[in-house]
Amino acid sequence: MTQRIAHVDDDPDIRDTVRQILKKHGYEVDSYHTANDFLNSLNDPAVIPDLAILDVMVESMDAGLNTYVELHNRFPKMQAIFMTSLGDMILPYFENKSQEWICIIEKPIEPSVLLSIVRERLKTAKPEMSTSQDG
Amino acid sequence: MATADFSWSTPKQQFNLDGKKEGEQKLSDEILRDNIRWFIIFRWAVIGALILFQIVALIASEELTQLGIREQQVWPLAITVILSAANFAYIYALDFCQPLKYNSPSINIWLQIIVDLLCLSIVVHYVGSTATPAPFFYILHIALACIFFSALESLFVAIIVSAMYTIVLLVENEMFYQVSQSILIDPRFSNESLQKGRVLVWMIALDTLFFIVWYVVSRLTLVVRKHEQYLRDAYDQINQAQIAKDQYAMLVTHQLKAPLDAIRSKINLVKEGYCGEVSREIEDVLTRIDKRGHNMSNLILDVLRLERLKTAGRNTNAMGYVDISATINKCIDKLEPVANARNIKIKLSMQNFFAFGIPDQIEILFENIIANAITYSYDNAEIDITSIIELSGNLAIVTIADHGIGIEAKDLPNIFDEYFYSPRAVMHNQSSSGIGLSLVKIAAANNNLQLKVASEPGLGTAFSAIFPNIQFIKENHNELTY
Repeated sequence: MTQRIAHVDDDPDIRDTVRQILKKHGYEVDSYHTANDFLNSLNDPAVIPDLAILDVMVESMDAGLNTYVELHNRFPKMQAIFMTSLGDMILPYFENKSQEWICIIEKPIEPSVLLSIVRERLKTAKPEMSTSQDG
Repeated sequence: MATADFSWSTPKQQFNLDGKKEGEQKLSDEILRDNIRWFIIFRWAVIGALILFQIVALIASEELTQLGIREQQVWPLAITVILSAANFAYIYALDFCQPLKYNSPSINIWLQIIVDLLCLSIVVHYVGSTATPAPFFYILHIALACIFFSALESLFVAIIVSAMYTIVLLVENEMFYQVSQSILIDPRFSNESLQKGRVLVWMIALDTLFFIVWYVVSRLTLVVRKHEQYLRDAYDQINQAQIAKDQYAMLVTHQLKAPLDAIRSKINLVKEGYCGEVSREIEDVLTRIDKRGHNMSNLILDVLRLERLKTAGRNTNAMGYVDISATINKCIDKLEPVANARNIKIKLSMQNFFAFGIPDQIEILFENIIANAITYSYDNAEIDITSIIELSGNLAIVTIADHGIGIEAKDLPNIFDEYFYSPRAVMHNQSSSGIGLSLVKIAAANNNLQLKVASEPGLGTAFSAIFPNIQFIKENHNELTY
């Protein structure tokens, strides 16, 4: 079954690049312009992704981080990757959060690096729907 | 891109004053505890003085009698015992009991004031309520209450003081014709018997004085607390401004770097064949474009790093014991691909130790020095990283030495300046941002480290960071590998 990846980024060139890379390797890619669009899409069980690639600064400076928190609450087992221009410079904003779940890719995108990280992340179990899906 | 609240990093509250209304401001429990300890020490001094007085009264009673001081009864001993027992009780309640509803620092200090006032009233009675300056010691309690309590609470203390002094005078006044007013002062030295009118004058005068002192000191305290509030507000504003500044720096950095990242992402897409086959010439051109973009990205991130380091300053909250070997290894892991690409070997000879500092900043320091050593080395060269521990001075020296182009003597004083470029360095490495060593300098200053640079053009450069007050055992007392 084709694995589904959601990608949130406000930069159309980055969205195109990620889509192009992942599509070529057989993934189903849903691109979202805003974190809000992505979160709204999660109400439809048909498009719930196996992995989410989140930009940190989309609608607001911390939209990506807040999206992750909500995602983590609703789908605790869903894998997520942060992709940001700021790289580890955003780490101070992850204060008090476990380091384990944080995977940060610094832009620019290097196709081979992105693919290897995506593959590694997708090796884990499929996401489980939480009961608070609509909340 | 819109900006919004950044909720992930909230400023830490650093002041201890409760954020109450101006008139209701009190000191926090922490400050009260400190003051309770100070009171206890002060009370020990009073107890010491009382004991000394009793010893002097025992060994030199005749001389005291000649000075007009009568032989004392048991009251000094009783007061000494009461104050000592009370002091032990305060210490027990403060340090050996769990803080409870009825065992708060505020209740502790209230008890101290009431017990002290009772003792003082006994002393005033025995020493002389109108014939000696003893009642003026009540003022000390009012002043302390004004400092440590709210205006209303200190007014209660002033009322209690006034009531106690009045009671002392009234009790004595009833006994006026039976007993002598002053026991301490020999009647031979009192010019005349105390009159009721005189007692009344003392009562009115001193009670008025108590309330005047309360009014003046409590006003003064309010003014001081108001200024403290202003300072706290100003500090909060500075904190907020720093957060806003960091957010702005992040936003600007992001906005500058994002288009570059989009361009470089597309370049990578082309280079890795996602847009069809690419000729060698085009790939070369793309590599050059990407390299320039990469340098520009680094410059943008370095500017943000520099800004952050300057803002962070000596943040003592972030300080801890840093494993220097682990930090250097982490930096080498990051930089190894760059070194390997030019066949530069990094040789490590470390005596491990722990240094007190800010972990991120020490990492920035080493990363930049090692990156510089790699950048300014010749291909196929070696970089030596060594650490020497000088037990006598309790310090350690970490030296990163390259065998590269070196630095001319005239440039050495300027290398830590922001955006400094030496022509020789630029010839060797066109992508220098001129910020790397500025980051090193600020990180060293923030962490109390001394830096030394020795260089010989054509032979190489050795950067040494000197760590004072090192440790070999972690804070949790784990054994070290050293």
